[in-house]
Amino acid sequence: MDLVLADRLQFAFTIMFHYLFPIGTMGLAPFVAAYTWKAARTLDEESGRIAHFWTKIFAVNFAAGVVTGIPMEFQFGTNWAAFSRRSGAVVGQPLAMESMFAFFLESIFLGVLLYRRRGLPSMFTAWAAVLVCAGSWLSGFFVVAVNAWMQHPVGYSLAPDGTIRLANIWALLFSPFLRWQFAHVLNGALLAGGFVVAGVGAYYLLARREEAIGRRFVRAGTIVSLVFALLAIFPTGDRNGRDITMYQPIKLAAMEGLFATTRRAPLAIIGMPDIANRRLIDPIFVPEFLSFLAYGNFTANVNGLDAYARELWPPVELTYYAYHVMVGLGTIFAASAAIAALLLVGGRLFRARWMLWILMLLMPFPYIANEAGWIGTEVGRQPWIIYGLMRTAGGSSPTVSSGETLFTLIGFAGMYFLLGVLFLYLVLREIGNGPGAVAPP
Amino acid sequence: MSIAAFVVVAFMLTTYVLLDGYDLGVATIAPLIARGDRERAAVMAAIGPFWNGNEVWLIAAAAALFALFPAAYASSFSGFYLPFVVVLWLLMFRGIALELRNHLRSELWHQFWDAAFSWSSGLLIFVFGLALGNLLRGVPLDAAGYFQGTFAFLLNPYALLVGIFALATLGVHGAAFAAMRIDGEPGRRAVRALRSGVWLVLALYLTVTALTFAVRGSIGGSWLVAMPGFSLCALAAVWWSARKTRMTATFAMSSLYIATLLAASAGTLYPYLLPAFPAGRGGISIFEEAYCRGTAAGTPSSAALGCALSITVAGIAIVAVYAPIIWRRMAGKVRVE
Repeated sequence: MDLVLADRLQFAFTIMFHYLFPIGTMGLAPFVAAYTWKAARTLDEESGRIAHFWTKIFAVNFAAGVVTGIPMEFQFGTNWAAFSRRSGAVVGQPLAMESMFAFFLESIFLGVLLYRRRGLPSMFTAWAAVLVCAGSWLSGFFVVAVNAWMQHPVGYSLAPDGTIRLANIWALLFSPFLRWQFAHVLNGALLAGGFVVAGVGAYYLLARREEAIGRRFVRAGTIVSLVFALLAIFPTGDRNGRDITMYQPIKLAAMEGLFATTRRAPLAIIGMPDIANRRLIDPIFVPEFLSFLAYGNFTANVNGLDAYARELWPPVELTYYAYHVMVGLGTIFAASAAIAALLLVGGRLFRARWMLWILMLLMPFPYIANEAGWIGTEVGRQPWIIYGLMRTAGGSSPTVSSGETLFTLIGFAGMYFLLGVLFLYLVLREIGNGPGAVAPP
Repeated sequence: MSIAAFVVVAFMLTTYVLLDGYDLGVATIAPLIARGDRERAAVMAAIGPFWNGNEVWLIAAAAALFALFPAAYASSFSGFYLPFVVVLWLLMFRGIALELRNHLRSELWHQFWDAAFSWSSGLLIFVFGLALGNLLRGVPLDAAGYFQGTFAFLLNPYALLVGIFALATLGVHGAAFAAMRIDGEPGRRAVRALRSGVWLVLALYLTVTALTFAVRGSIGGSWLVAMPGFSLCALAAVWWSARKTRMTATFAMSSLYIATLLAASAGTLYPYLLPAFPAGRGGISIFEEAYCRGTAAGTPSSAALGCALSITVAGIAIVAVYAPIIWRRMAGKVRVE
């Protein structure tokens, strides 16, 4: 097997598995903080149970996120030595910030949260929960800062030997590409958190147990889901899309399956890319809408893939499908959350079993949408590892062979299978036991 | 500036060894000091709130190395490819074991994870020692500054001995922590293990130190000749305070002892981050990464060094403010329940 392909497979596998957990931590952390805060303020026993329940689920998530996160940072050095050597002076900075400013905060205060849980939470614990939440978001910010720089490099200079030097760290942290990308990433995690809380509540109501608590979950989850399903479309998704249009027009063309440069470009809702014939098979179009989304003007000219050399195209099918899965699911989330919210306002949601079924079954889909969004982002960046500066093909380690990488990939697959089974078992068991089974505070 | 960067990376790695060292050490000697489910639970509870924060120092040190010395980071991580991946797997396994242990109330479940925890922690210490041994001995760098660390090369007698030395040293460090934090039988057994362990550490220390002088040939500054004196004094203090059963002092002295060992190692390496094997052929140094000239890696710019230095120094300062406050609130002995 080709070395770069083996390295890419390993990175794709480990990052996609890892990212399932940060979605959970970033998305659930505010719920943990809010419930802990409420329990500490009101000294209400039911709130104490709820806080404890979500803290336990959060802890399993966090542990899985930490153990799968360590290989990510190491992998830059082990598998992508040429990339690290050339760009480490830049890429290393946000990673160093993540360790120093986010990881310490998160891990030390989670220790407080987990080992201080006899009795009702105190305000000390409540503050710890807030700081854990801040730490997890901050950590997300620094990681996305690295990615945004690889999508749109800024604040650097090139040394004569090709090394990428840091010129201005603030340019990197306030990069125009980073703002909306991070907003959209965090938005995606909060959307997932909302649907998980609503889904767990819906399960309790459907199973006719823990109904008082189930109603609280459904109410809070529905409101949060609706807010973030709408924000995911506008402004965060829309603005992120505009940035892609401006800085990575080839990626935009691949995401939308636009082969020919077109004025009044239509938006493809569905359709399958046919690369050989440069067309979409069996498409459904909304006329002129792509021009509007990209430039806010129905008559604008949108560059298609034909405007660029063939060797600069990303893998079109994967980019296209990943993006369409994300957008399609996002539309479904907004519609479902809106209907649930209407039922909630009308006071009928807790009796509308069909809607509760939908909320429960929707739980895994925000995860798929988050992952699909990242697949589109990362595959769409190809053939570049640093957009416009360095090719992915030149980034891997010169002394590591594809046989070694395959061996470790198999090892990671085995390890992650075990971890995945344990994670599901423990979380489902916790949900099955329910907040009522939590030891009385 | 390069020297400051070297000191910062060495400081972070030392902090990592001191902090994660005690929880790795406690885990390794857990089978010796804890019998039965309840005692083992007490041992886990003694390190439970801290291990994650301790491990962050490793991540932080790796990130600092990445930002400050990309060439050394890239070369060492890819050169030690398989050992590093093994370290990753062990770190993961250990984290899983400790975190998942208490989610079920089943003795079999506990037994499995406790054993997994002890074995993976012990192996980690050994592999870290092996890596340090090979770092001191040097690695076969090629003209571009890369190398391929084959097992045949890495598993040499010197590095294996450093691995065993690391196990003994951190075992004693862990015993000191356990004796300080845990009440009852496990604490008492830790004291006993500590008192006899010190002699093993002393014997290994003398052997390894003599061999290090032989392996490195010449060493950097003349102040290094005095280092064994400091180390031996610190070790004697460990022995003395353990005899008096003053466990906080024992732990502090053990930390001091390990710090002198690592300072001596850093001094031996200086000015190289990755010396070439055999000794005397230079290496990737902190000033001019001579091996990397002509390839796509030069010395990091002063802007990058300055930025990474400010991040790490500011970060350490902030952590130094809140971590002790939190630790004090979490302090107090763990009891067997």
